[in-house]
Amino acid sequence: MSLESSFESSLAAFKALHLPRAGRPAPPPEAVAAPGLSRGALAGVLRFAGLLALLAVVAFFAVRVPSFVTTGNIGLILSQSAVLGILGLGLTLVLITGGSDVIRGGIDLSLAGTLGLAAAVFATLNQAGYGDTACVAATLATGLAVGALNALSVTWLRILPLLATLAVMNICGGLELVLTENTTVPAGLPLIDALNLVGPFDLPVIGLVLVAAWLILAVTVRFTAVGLRAYAVGGHPEAARAAGIDLTRYLASSYLVAGLLGGVAGILSVAFLNAATSGSAEMLLPVIATAFLGRMFSRRLVPTVTGTLLAAVFLGALANGFQLLHVSSYWVNGIEGALILAVVGATSGLAGRGARP
Amino acid sequence: MESPASAHIARRSLLKAGAALAGALALGGPALAQAAAPAAADAPAPSLKGKTIAISVAGTDHFFDLKAYQAQIETVKELGGTPIGLDGGRNDKAIVSQLQTLLTQKPDAVIQTLGTLSVVDPWLKKLRQAGIPVFSVDLPSTNVINTATSDNFSLGAQLALQLVSDIGGKGNIVVFNGFAGVPVCEIRYNELRQVLKYYPEVKIVQPELRDVIPNTVQDAYAQITALLSKYPDKGSISAIWSAWDIPQLGATQALIAAGRTEILTYGVDGTPEVLALVKDPKAPAGAVAAQQPSLIGRTAVLNVARYLNGDTSLPSQTFLPAIVANKKNAAEVQKQLGQV
Repeated sequence: MSLESSFESSLAAFKALHLPRAGRPAPPPEAVAAPGLSRGALAGVLRFAGLLALLAVVAFFAVRVPSFVTTGNIGLILSQSAVLGILGLGLTLVLITGGSDVIRGGIDLSLAGTLGLAAAVFATLNQAGYGDTACVAATLATGLAVGALNALSVTWLRILPLLATLAVMNICGGLELVLTENTTVPAGLPLIDALNLVGPFDLPVIGLVLVAAWLILAVTVRFTAVGLRAYAVGGHPEAARAAGIDLTRYLASSYLVAGLLGGVAGILSVAFLNAATSGSAEMLLPVIATAFLGRMFSRRLVPTVTGTLLAAVFLGALANGFQLLHVSSYWVNGIEGALILAVVGATSGLAGRGARP
Repeated sequence: MESPASAHIARRSLLKAGAALAGALALGGPALAQAAAPAAADAPAPSLKGKTIAISVAGTDHFFDLKAYQAQIETVKELGGTPIGLDGGRNDKAIVSQLQTLLTQKPDAVIQTLGTLSVVDPWLKKLRQAGIPVFSVDLPSTNVINTATSDNFSLGAQLALQLVSDIGGKGNIVVFNGFAGVPVCEIRYNELRQVLKYYPEVKIVQPELRDVIPNTVQDAYAQITALLSKYPDKGSISAIWSAWDIPQLGATQALIAAGRTEILTYGVDGTPEVLALVKDPKAPAGAVAAQQPSLIGRTAVLNVARYLNGDTSLPSQTFLPAIVANKKNAAEVQKQLGQV
């Protein structure tokens, strides 16, 4: 938490330094003070509520089904959350750098499509007789290429991210069909077997990949200037520009990294299913849900890397726990929907209150 | 589509029909000659008291899946057990996650209904290795103790023979072949090829079409509509074959819309809408191999109960009778299956 507050104070210093120079008129003091207070209080409650909900759910499951908290089951939850989590992390970077405006802000709708295409590339090359290295290289390159296409459309062609990534999503879906002809393409390589093993700490390797991706991104976003600048580009573009940050480069990079993560998710998905299968488009909404739910775990209700990881694991734990309780999977969908509604409602309510003079 | 009440009645009469079919009494169709089903209804039902049975299904969006799933859940309850209903919703990731979680859950047995074998099988194997007995519906695998299924070898051959005889032993046929990874579909397709070997004047139009899930009906409709404009002459296509009857439904509707009712459609399952089209003398649905999904589902649970009560003599596959419904006997089959 001290990290977050140090981040916030630096952001405040940053704003104080650059905002006036950017020519934004300073609002009258009383207009800021009152909503600022209630915002902070509400946000505090919400953050508390997010963590509380997570802990309550875990405690509830642990009491009702003791096997829920065994290492084996935690490993299962991690590996079941891995593909969703990695994609969610990608989207989080885009949301951080692109800003949270629903229409003009950063969004990458093509991530689920990237996952499908990347998995298809991996499995088709595998079927064509290529080995681990070639398959991995081609799959990651596919992810990067999709990311580059998104980046070009958004920064160079200046298409709204919502529309640009929607179009790219369709391109990915089409190419996936070309490769797989809508069939399941089985895959079997030493790498696939290795990913399906149980690694250190008795956790499945697929789950450990998620943890590793989270660690790398969390450290980058929290401890390096890159992270601070990315937040500045998304939250205060004028200030960032005035401070000499190359907005285009940051925006483009966020889509590139997201694409790369889409490629990683593709490999994990092939490992998880021992095949590339159709239906990855269904991941689109869960990915968005994860990134938005993740805001519930941040103090200022902004997208954070750790928040997204927690959200992905939370959704995985819900599905797992309800099954252990013999509750129908249909309920999990309903609960997921209700949670998203609550979070989006709370955050947009806060934003609305903040905007009102 | 059906109200719960009518579904219940249909299920009951379907079970009765199953018993009748097993007795090989009612129908004169070719399917019955080889119908050697175990008498599911007459043996005293073994108890599942205190047992938890996981019922995992690839999806419940089609007639066959839904009926097979509901029958399994009901039979587990009827025998005093607790069912864990796991609907994969046609999402492989959900199916695999649910099967994985069963490793923690440790039910007394698992029944997997359908699914892509290469995706599902590694997890069936892990469940088996964890000491959980695994059974299946319509999914033959080396990792299951028993599969309850129609005899897809003979129903596939019979459907193919019906097709060949309806078109007079020659002509071009269009084939939907999108689910080669689903073993029962593969068996039916291979039986079609096997029969066609001996009818060299019947040719499969290339490329073969791919049926999809979801939007199967709309997609088949669109694909057939496009194909008809590529083959506008009457007689250029004689029949359309699919491994199940939801693509057949879309294809039949496309033929009606295009006025090309000289082309006949063939499929497998016996979804009520399709059976009604087969019965309709004006509709171009040639035949459908009608299965008994409720009886199949029920049999799977009875087999689990027998196994858990110490019966180790189960065969690897339990075949339930299916019958090819054609223009002549469709009304009778509808009655037998309780669909009217």
